[in-house]
Amino acid sequence: MIVAVDVGGTFTDIVGIDENGKITIYKGLTTPKSPEIGVYEGLKKGNFHDVKEIIHATTIATNAILGQVNLELPEVALLTTKGFKDVIEIGRQNRPELYNPFFDKPAPLVPRDKRYEINERVNAEGKIIQKVNEEEVENLIKSIKADAIAISFLHSYINPDNEKIVAQIARKYFKYVSVSHEIAPEPREYERTSTTVLNAKLMPIVSRYLEALESLLRDFSSPPIFIMASSGGLIDKEEASRRPVQIIESGPAAGVVGVAYFSEVLNIKNAISFDMGGTTAKAGTVVDHKIEITTEYEVGGKAHHGRMIKGSGYPVRFPFVDLSEVSAGGGTIIWKDSAGGLRVGPLSAGADPGPISYARGGKDPTLTDANVALGRVESLLSGEMKLDKDGAIKGLNKLGDYVEMANEAIKLANMEMGRAIRLVTVERGLDPEDFTLFAYGGAGPQYAIDLAEEMRISTVVIPPYPGLFSALGLLFADKKYEARKSYPKDLEKDFEELESKVKGKYYLRYADVRYEGQGWEITIPVSDVKKIKEDFETIHRKIYGFTLDRDIEIITIRVFGIVPSYKVTLPKPKTDDKPSVKFRKVYFDEWIETPIYKREELPSNYEIEGPAIIEEYSSTIVIKPNWKGIVDENGFIKISKV
Amino acid sequence: MKWEIVHKATSFIAEEMGVSLKKSALSPNIRERMDHSCAIVNEEGKIVAQAEHIPVHLGSFKIGVLNVLNYLEKEGIELEEGDSIIFNDPYISGTHLNDVGVLSPIFYNGKLIGYAVNKAHHVDVGGPLPGSINPTAKTIYEEGVVIPPVKLTRKGSLNDEIIKIIKENFKVPDFSLGDIKAQISANKLGEERVRQLFEKYGDIRQSWEESIDYSRRLALNVINTWKKGEYEAEDYLEWGSSLLPIKIKLRIGEKGIIADFEGTYKQIEGPLNAVLGVTYSAVSFAVRSMVGEVPTNDGFYSLITVKAEEGSLVNPLKPAAVGGGNVETSQRIADVTFLAMSKFLKVPAAASGTMMNIMMGGIYKGKYWSYYETVGGGSGGRPCKDGVAAVQNNMTNTLNTPIEIAERQYPILFIEYRIREGSGGNGLHKGGDGIIRGFKLLSKAKISILADRFKIGPWGLEGGERGKPGRVTINGKDYPSKFTEEVNEGDVIIVETPGGGGYGKAY
Repeated sequence: MIVAVDVGGTFTDIVGIDENGKITIYKGLTTPKSPEIGVYEGLKKGNFHDVKEIIHATTIATNAILGQVNLELPEVALLTTKGFKDVIEIGRQNRPELYNPFFDKPAPLVPRDKRYEINERVNAEGKIIQKVNEEEVENLIKSIKADAIAISFLHSYINPDNEKIVAQIARKYFKYVSVSHEIAPEPREYERTSTTVLNAKLMPIVSRYLEALESLLRDFSSPPIFIMASSGGLIDKEEASRRPVQIIESGPAAGVVGVAYFSEVLNIKNAISFDMGGTTAKAGTVVDHKIEITTEYEVGGKAHHGRMIKGSGYPVRFPFVDLSEVSAGGGTIIWKDSAGGLRVGPLSAGADPGPISYARGGKDPTLTDANVALGRVESLLSGEMKLDKDGAIKGLNKLGDYVEMANEAIKLANMEMGRAIRLVTVERGLDPEDFTLFAYGGAGPQYAIDLAEEMRISTVVIPPYPGLFSALGLLFADKKYEARKSYPKDLEKDFEELESKVKGKYYLRYADVRYEGQGWEITIPVSDVKKIKEDFETIHRKIYGFTLDRDIEIITIRVFGIVPSYKVTLPKPKTDDKPSVKFRKVYFDEWIETPIYKREELPSNYEIEGPAIIEEYSSTIVIKPNWKGIVDENGFIKISKV
Repeated sequence: MKWEIVHKATSFIAEEMGVSLKKSALSPNIRERMDHSCAIVNEEGKIVAQAEHIPVHLGSFKIGVLNVLNYLEKEGIELEEGDSIIFNDPYISGTHLNDVGVLSPIFYNGKLIGYAVNKAHHVDVGGPLPGSINPTAKTIYEEGVVIPPVKLTRKGSLNDEIIKIIKENFKVPDFSLGDIKAQISANKLGEERVRQLFEKYGDIRQSWEESIDYSRRLALNVINTWKKGEYEAEDYLEWGSSLLPIKIKLRIGEKGIIADFEGTYKQIEGPLNAVLGVTYSAVSFAVRSMVGEVPTNDGFYSLITVKAEEGSLVNPLKPAAVGGGNVETSQRIADVTFLAMSKFLKVPAAASGTMMNIMMGGIYKGKYWSYYETVGGGSGGRPCKDGVAAVQNNMTNTLNTPIEIAERQYPILFIEYRIREGSGGNGLHKGGDGIIRGFKLLSKAKISILADRFKIGPWGLEGGERGKPGRVTINGKDYPSKFTEEVNEGDVIIVETPGGGGYGKAY
């Protein structure tokens, strides 16, 4: 059995699939202090056996940085070029909030008394203009008290010699040493240093966690562990321990990988991944079954209507699956401000206390309460958890007429989510009308049709187990190893050199390219080094609408070594069942007596005309009037506009 | 349809225009530093929604759009579908020459329903110096080219005449013309989206009014908790050997706020004059900072009135030079407004108070180069906590240029970039420290500095001490806050920015 484990903030989801395509699922609470315990218990309780491989998505890195894990963050000492120890604190000089005089910048990752300057210097051409004095450095390093060392010198991406000398000395005294030219060899001193320091902080945490997990897995005959990287590829335990900074957005990447895989199976050319859970909604695009990656990311950063606010977190220069995120989830609170304006979010009631209808002490109405009040959702976990509809109605009535409030709130939330989609489509020169909306996460299937109407999308797809889809997606990920180089001199030779450094059955090449004198780069896939300019201009025109009569500059080239996973197939739905139908009143601009189905009873090719509700273990699907759903032979429900 | 939906949709349109402009513009200034703003305006010229990235643009539309519409009426220029107007005259548009505005009418079924407007900082708009910011300008004519509101497009096609004038006067025309095209298409997008809203929801002008009224009520709810009265404050700009006073009387009343600058120094023969739009922006910025989250539209603006005598430093008469008014005087106007508010509210002590504008250029390896940067400083100590070190304050928020990028493009070698320890004013809550940025020239060059707060550091509050003043040295020799100088290969320039003032008595 291949087992995928997705450890999120609240839930630990496990999906296993055996040689016959039989699926075993488990959903349990995460054990934040030592997540490996929750994984171990889940594997036991869910009766997962004959485990051949564990594929793992984990939030341990993010949670550690955000201080959500109950562990002491390792202390890191930073070695920099003389004159520049404050680069890590100054950042890019901007403030994250324009109009808040009480703003704070994110606390520097290394306090000033743990930053040490080394008398060394390389210039922009890569010439060493000040050599390292090894004896001085060794004496200094011996005197440092810290759990890990980060080293980041100016221009080391073009000439790492000084860094190498210092790293060699540091490794004599420290187990965890993170060196900028090994972690993120590309220009922009603040971003590279931040990435290197974060990596140093995560090294002890991630190594220890993976070792603990590995030792517990002895009870399951020690299967190999692969970790989902933020780029949407799997890396092995050693790589994750060496460069843990690349597993920060592990979970969200997994879902998009699943979308990429199934978009190929279902023959969907353009898909929007839409993942909505308890607190946030995330959108990404998959064009021609390929995921989009970005290298601009800030961990712990804040977003403003889906757009990352520069300077609100710590930059990480590593490839990430390009997602935009808005504060809209089932737990998002509906409220009125002092001027009587109806507002949705950004505050969330989270999972605890959660929506009013959970009857766990939640006092503020949430989006889930709106759907409960409108009759769209009645219970969770296939009826195991009943929801308090009266409570939800009462909560909404405090703001105004509950039907009106619920309806308006859902519309406002849809606009917010629509914005996340706009960011990954319209703003990249793509038209959402050409896309299929692929909706998952516990709340995704409740809002998918509303959202499709808002964005004029005509087809929606709901995968099997939408609430466990990220775990499911892990099963279809390839192994992916990354290497990069800045300012390459001989493209073909440099690409080949990078490829010789990483494992791979085949390789993907990328380049960060710009017009000379521009201040930013575009990452483009490289098929032929001679065609880089042509490819760059095609993409530049698509995104920005024009090209320039100027030379291009290639700042960084990147290689992914790919080892494909062995593909599993999902069980097919039965063909002969007659599903049972119940009815209840659901509000769709008016109260309509609506049929309610159970998803597991739906045979393939079964057609359902909206309005209808389909309930299942991990989610509830809402089909609005004028939409029609059909179950395909893989168990996906495809919903199209009539 | 509920006004909340229209309100949100319209503000998204303004923001989408901004993103489109940022992405299709050519110059790094707009693309990386986001020195631009976009708005949707109703048929009367009231701002319905505005997306702004740089505070100095906040509120300049309030003055600018009405000025442009009045100008068009006075000149008898009529707008048809597909027309758009270009302008950069600071005395009309309300900031400085570098901010070039484009305004386009929006028609629905042949009827005028509003305007899409945007403003973007062009890296050069002509004049004697690279970048069109001239520390020695005595009049606006020594800064750059003035464009009054004229047609940029007619029924959808470009007016070549104005384009030719720009091409022959702006010093990097390929950047500027690219940016102007991006500005036209951002407005087109805005028009299209507004028309879609009308198609979807019908005539939404009433919802716009409600949205404006909502913003007004939301802000007024906060302002009404402030103590009514008149509060005076005074602060200074440094000019040669003298200090130019900026005085404010801030009146907090039932219906809003009046900022009266009576007694402020008269306009000068130098670039520090701030046109009324800048003055209005800086006051709005300070008020908005203390009001908190409120939609940026006419509702909020309608609560703020600025009175400034014509011919003064904060409302000069043409042809006074205004380039530094936008980048330096704006900071002082924000400071003095905060200082007046400190009499009835808990506000932070003064921040660095200068953008520390550095302009350099010359010929290196046979090629002309020019470089512009601003350096952040300390923010003031706050009533509850220390100020923030090394950050862009108040009227600006642009990113720095990475050292590794700057060294690759220009003949400069940086020798230090660090926090200026101990420069924040002492106090119960200390002011944030400034920055030290030092570099060596690898080639002969011309350098200009336009800065302030070199003589008197940023003020403290409630017994907190002043932050350390700013400082610039060349090879160890001190220079004033505003100068232009030839420098040689190997010369070392060290810039130190002011720390923020302290808050409360230290014990």
